Amino acid sequence: MRKVAYYKGCLASLSAKELDTSTRALAPKVGLELDELESVTCCGAGDIHEAEPDYYLHLNARILAYAEATGADTLMTVCNVCTLNLRQANYQLQIDDALRERVNRNLEAVNVPHYSGAVEVKHLLWLIAEGEGYELLKQAAHKGLKGLKVAPFYGCQILRPSKLLGFEDPDRPSSLEAIITACGGEPIDYPAKIKCCGFPIIQAREETALGELIQPIEQAKEAGADAMVTPCPLCHLSLDAWQSKLKKATGKDFQMPILHLSQLIGVAAGLEASELKFKRHVVSVQPVLEKLEA
Amino acid sequence: MSTHLAPVPGSTTIDVALKIWRYNSETGDRELKDYEVEAPDWATLLDVLDLIKDRVDGTLAYRKSCRMMICGSCGMRMDGAAVLACKTRMYDIVQAGHVPVISAMGNLPIVKDLVVDMDPFWKKMKAMKPWLEPGYEEPPEGKEFHASQQQMNVIHKEALCINCGCCVSECNAMESSPEFLGPQALAKGMRFVGDPRERAVVERLEDYNSEHGIWECTRCYFCNERCPKGVDPRDAIAKLGAESIKHGIDHDMGAKHANWFVTSAKTTGWLRETELVPKTQGVVSSIAQMKFAMGLAKRGKVPPPIPPHVAEDVRQSRALYDIVKQQGRDGALGIVQGEHALGRIEFAEEHGTKTSDPEVQPGVEPPHAEG
Repeated sequence: MRKVAYYKGCLASLSAKELDTSTRALAPKVGLELDELESVTCCGAGDIHEAEPDYYLHLNARILAYAEATGADTLMTVCNVCTLNLRQANYQLQIDDALRERVNRNLEAVNVPHYSGAVEVKHLLWLIAEGEGYELLKQAAHKGLKGLKVAPFYGCQILRPSKLLGFEDPDRPSSLEAIITACGGEPIDYPAKIKCCGFPIIQAREETALGELIQPIEQAKEAGADAMVTPCPLCHLSLDAWQSKLKKATGKDFQMPILHLSQLIGVAAGLEASELKFKRHVVSVQPVLEKLEA
Repeated sequence: MSTHLAPVPGSTTIDVALKIWRYNSETGDRELKDYEVEAPDWATLLDVLDLIKDRVDGTLAYRKSCRMMICGSCGMRMDGAAVLACKTRMYDIVQAGHVPVISAMGNLPIVKDLVVDMDPFWKKMKAMKPWLEPGYEEPPEGKEFHASQQQMNVIHKEALCINCGCCVSECNAMESSPEFLGPQALAKGMRFVGDPRERAVVERLEDYNSEHGIWECTRCYFCNERCPKGVDPRDAIAKLGAESIKHGIDHDMGAKHANWFVTSAKTTGWLRETELVPKTQGVVSSIAQMKFAMGLAKRGKVPPPIPPHVAEDVRQSRALYDIVKQQGRDGALGIVQGEHALGRIEFAEEHGTKTSDPEVQPGVEPPHAEG
């Protein structure tokens, strides 16, 4: 078992609880022992970075400090936006000794542990798309997906900017495809798999966001996908919950089931319905489950 | 024209194969054509296009000028990603056996083949008023205006822009909303907002807080990924947002959305999701969203705000906010923290060395690498 500090972020704590339950149930099957961080806050989701950048840095330094205090060398995330925000702050703290000293003095003043800069932030996807995690995943996915056609949707902030993320080629990523294949599914290729779902502006500029959101769903549908899978709960929320708004705006009713990464693997690994919690989805996942039971 | 490209006898050459999307805007004809030429092994994509135009097909249209990554003329797409043709070496691509597809940049109308109409691009740039507004304090006679390195670090990256359009080509928000000012124009705006001599900062920020301004950026980060000069336009847009909020310009829904995250972190630690909609859009607009929200609530997507989901030891994050606010790293200055240059300056301040000192003094031999 590899021990990692687990930062679940806001959505997995609240509106996407199904992401948290499926991740917890899956972890031991892919060799991960999760040490969940309790004394942590929101990473700021890019919004605090934009509103109060110095506060953003301190909130993330605090998360990293508590991660280091667990003794693990890796902080595991399950959200693209958390991944970028934490890695960006970590990079700032790692390359600038004077900045790290100031932040540590401030952390000390409020009784937060010291942060040395030694923690690495990695998304669950990265831990299971290669190496030992991938080997264990292949064993865990014993039930398979019976050739289910799955459209991988990466979202933005797990690929770009690649100088802060850098796990794979941001234009030709392949980690989700490798996982779909290992689970016995058939990955579907389509151009918009690396584009934006529109979520960051879905409240402030809904029309612009919907114009982005329709591209991946429409392309995946045309390419014959039975479902889409994403490593990001924000992408999940817009792809799943805002489909009804696309229908209202364009008249197109896609009924495309959207799965979290941990749910897709979870189905292949035989997780319980109480762990997968598909009832929390807006677009029904039933057609996928029926296809797998057939 | 391309005599400098003629292979020198005995030198190494490579056979470069390309596919180019040809386009005629008068007829609307579009065709993907194959080309193959022998080129020197150091050839760039631009060199190869020159060879094709010279030896194979004189009707091929593309823009070029300096050939050295400074004029910004030769932006185009290779395999769907915007690049400067003069910066893209072909050797590794040929060695990998890959035949790349070359096409015109995105988000701008195509005039012919690889040439796009840059008018919409220049119009947006002009709308940013890309010049210093007069009225700053003139330095004494014969003196220069002194700006510290720390002040200039805030706009260091923005000043590198060569107006090539590679960022605009890939902007996801602009694909959906063509009127969005976009990454190049906004980065240019930040270059002036952050200039210590500029005297119309508030007026500029008000202008850029328009319907298609700062807050329409969708944070897809394609601009940072594609920029061939390291401008990082998304970071520039974040700086504009931070400067706006610092100056109290927070009427846009995007700014309210951002501020609600700060409030959430200070009060409960975690995002107060359910209150985010009314805090961003206002109560009236939220009521219009009620039916949609009820649909989500049925699926547990609208967690009740009471009792609030409070993070353990949230008192720490509240106290941190008060400490941070006293340390004066608001706005764009907070965003550039940790960039190498700023780190060097803080180091120099603490150690009493002058950062303006050149690394090698006149008359002193620079150190040479061994071997």
